[in-house]
Amino acid sequence: MYEGLSSPNIHTPSNLSEYASTILHYPSSTLWAGGTFIMTRPEAYPSRTMNAEIIYLGNIEELHRFQRNDRSAEFGAMVTLDGILSTGKAVLPRVLIDNIQTIGSRLITRRATVGGTISTKDFTTSFPGTLITLDASAEVRFIRKRRLHSRWMPITRLLDKAGRIAIPQQGMISRVRIAFTDKNCQYFDEVGSFMLDPENSVAAAFTATLDQDILINPKIAFTYPTHGVCYSRDIDSIFSSLRFPLDDAEFSTLEQMIFTFVESSFQDISPLQRTRTSGIIRKIVDDLNEKALTISPESR
Amino acid sequence: MKIDCTIDGKTLTLSLNSDKPLSLILRENMGEDSALNHCSGRMCGLCTVLVDGKAMLACMVPAFEIRGRNVTTFASFRKTRNMKDIEKAYESVGRYPCSECFPSRSLIFESLIDEGITDPEEILKEFTIVKCPCMDPDDAVNIVRRGIEIRRKRNVRRPQLT
Repeated sequence: MYEGLSSPNIHTPSNLSEYASTILHYPSSTLWAGGTFIMTRPEAYPSRTMNAEIIYLGNIEELHRFQRNDRSAEFGAMVTLDGILSTGKAVLPRVLIDNIQTIGSRLITRRATVGGTISTKDFTTSFPGTLITLDASAEVRFIRKRRLHSRWMPITRLLDKAGRIAIPQQGMISRVRIAFTDKNCQYFDEVGSFMLDPENSVAAAFTATLDQDILINPKIAFTYPTHGVCYSRDIDSIFSSLRFPLDDAEFSTLEQMIFTFVESSFQDISPLQRTRTSGIIRKIVDDLNEKALTISPESR
Repeated sequence: MKIDCTIDGKTLTLSLNSDKPLSLILRENMGEDSALNHCSGRMCGLCTVLVDGKAMLACMVPAFEIRGRNVTTFASFRKTRNMKDIEKAYESVGRYPCSECFPSRSLIFESLIDEGITDPEEILKEFTIVKCPCMDPDDAVNIVRRGIEIRRKRNVRRPQLT
């Protein structure tokens, strides 16, 4: 069936300079990493919207590299999520490992790639939000004056006003650098299925250091798959100003402040997403309350 | 687009749309309709095949990615000695998957036994893709462990008598 339809041309560059010349020849081509997102769309095949040119990045050797030093780990964009788990499970931040593990079976994580999970079009996975809370940065390769340039940028700077990851036209993410962190509060939760029920699912990543009863350098990001990532320094500073444990009244105020911000960014989140977001905030606060209460009074 | 690949031990050159999912290739081009279900990417887990010995969802693999690779479907895998090990493990534990998910579960068991994974968490995580509730999680873990034992015993060469 559908064999009569035109078949997309597949370009398989084997290094970045070949990629540059291919993208210059076919500027509106689609980049293909693991294909987990593209292939799970109902309209994936036969595609009416799919571009006639596909650049498959799987053969670019530079994108499969993994480097690690004392302070950070660097992953090529084509390293699979399963590859991250097998190479860095012992050293990488807990929140990142939890995020990958919630994605599910290795049948998926063996194909999903670092670059692909960040750069999905019109859809946001839970991965960029987690990377934001870890202060990760990405190397973006882009074409300017017919030459391939590269630039390291924090993931937060890749977010556009709508909360989507915005990569320059003809650009791609080639590496992601994740710093090792010693934050003692790391939390990730995904409620609902991002792939099967994106309208109602939500994920949140949270990292902070709880020192006695205050949070140092807290970062929290909420991800709504069809909307984008909701991250703000304002929410982070609200968390910094709190003293734990919080009572119910303080919790309600915090929740209201967070929702004010979330709803100013994304007006049409569903009621179920709202309820689920509330539940996640409650879980995070309960966890922080518990940790704050277990610190002995002498050490306060 | 012409694609050279090996499917169930046969070396083939197929003329296909380059982005056609492997699940559809197997159904339409190979006439393999035994247990494969084209769910349009809803991740039902029933289209599992082995690509170069690793379990993958056929609906997620586009045609251009199988170029030069070895695809094994359940139709050919069921005739192998490895499947006999898995059947022995089913028998030993006393649990069989239902007829609907039997092929996909067996191929995932094969992938886990081949890698020698015994960690219950990892085993259960692998099976989250199969939505069918016909098998208890504990049974799945026991089948993998038993399968690894059976495979090891089979692979141990008896010392040659001189």
